[in-house]
Amino acid sequence: MGHPTALQLLEAVRLFLKQAEGALSGRLAFHAKVAANTLAIVERELALEPDGAEAAALAAYGGMAVLCEGLRSGALDPADKALLAAVRAAVLARLAVDNPRYATFKRLQEREIS
Amino acid sequence: MADDISVPEGFGKMLDPMEPEGRAALGRLIERGVGEAVTVGAVVPLSGGASSATYRVEAEIGCALRHFIFQRTASAEHHSLPRAVQAAVQKRAGALGVPVAPVIAVAEPEDCLGDAAVTALVAGEALAQKWLRLPEYEAARAALTGQCAAALAKLHAAPASHWSDLPLTGGSGADLLAAMFESYRRLDVDVPAFDLAFAWLKPRMPTGPATCLAHGDFRSGNFLVDGQGLAAVLDWELTHLSVPAEDLGWLCVQAWRFGQWQMPVGGFGTREALVEAYRAAGGRVALDDLRVWEVFGNLKWGMSCLQLADDHVSGRVPSVERAAIGRRVSEVAADLTYLVAFGDL
Repeated sequence: MGHPTALQLLEAVRLFLKQAEGALSGRLAFHAKVAANTLAIVERELALEPDGAEAAALAAYGGMAVLCEGLRSGALDPADKALLAAVRAAVLARLAVDNPRYATFKRLQEREIS
Repeated sequence: MADDISVPEGFGKMLDPMEPEGRAALGRLIERGVGEAVTVGAVVPLSGGASSATYRVEAEIGCALRHFIFQRTASAEHHSLPRAVQAAVQKRAGALGVPVAPVIAVAEPEDCLGDAAVTALVAGEALAQKWLRLPEYEAARAALTGQCAAALAKLHAAPASHWSDLPLTGGSGADLLAAMFESYRRLDVDVPAFDLAFAWLKPRMPTGPATCLAHGDFRSGNFLVDGQGLAAVLDWELTHLSVPAEDLGWLCVQAWRFGQWQMPVGGFGTREALVEAYRAAGGRVALDDLRVWEVFGNLKWGMSCLQLADDHVSGRVPSVERAAIGRRVSEVAADLTYLVAFGDL
């Protein structure tokens, strides 16, 4: 008790930055806003742990580096449905952390590749 | 802002236009342009892009008060086009019928003002978030697709030879893609959606030579908009030789729709209306080519995010803003995946 978790510390600093933004102006106010948004990303990353979901999505292709290499060498076809579905799942796992309010997040989530 | 300015090569000493010595130098520069005695009044910094510092300048000429924009390259690291070349392009674009701010004067090294230029102040709203949303710009938004198409058709109507005396870069679509892929590989990162887009684009990019001048950054954030629509096209620093569809595709990139994603052309229009208006103004572009360059444009914006983030990650420019923009790569990754999978965004 009384011992804040890492998430609670981040939340506290994020709320402080929101207050600070109101007292600042110009570039500094803008940077305070960016900083608060950045902490919100870190909070979501700690809660959602996207690395696991991303790795699982790309596992069938040997992981991120091998998949990218396959596209560069021409071994993989960028129009392949199964490949697109795997990339879509990996992208969604990341964007859920980085910006779940981005319009394309919902659009991509709601549209299956088949 | 004034304090993060480093001196571009060849321009030696650089004066602060807000200090007495710099204001006097600015006055002499404007005098050269207008051919009359000038007394500089207020010099107010405006929030500019990452590569330029911009000021609004008030000046007394005879007994009239006139307003100007003084803009200079903010940093040597950006390797942007010299102001003298930008100004020459801007003047010629104006002569072709593109709405631009009239160029008043370009600074020489002995002006000690950096790589800079003065243009007339054109009235209008530069913040796209405002003119895309406020009701008083409704008529402007309705006219804008046609005006953008007409401005680009006029610019693109001049053959590449019209610009051949200027030191401009550029090349075929395939060349531009290859250069971008090289930058991507230099960053040594793996972004599956980016590789997906590179692989999808590779067989689709045109291989023929550049046919015209592309503005290179023709998007909602670089327009001055008044009640009637497009008042001026700003920021000519990325101009290069290419093909018409590059500018049209760039205008459709998701990042400049500012949330108005149902309107693919800059947040205010449809692709079909853009292509039709471009044709009506004498240009020619196929919807399929537009789509290819739209994917190219989204990928190019994604590359900018990666590069800005790398400025922070590498320690070159420690900045919360640049670190945060690195996570916008995920937004572009989603847009690219959507475009390649469904052909439309």
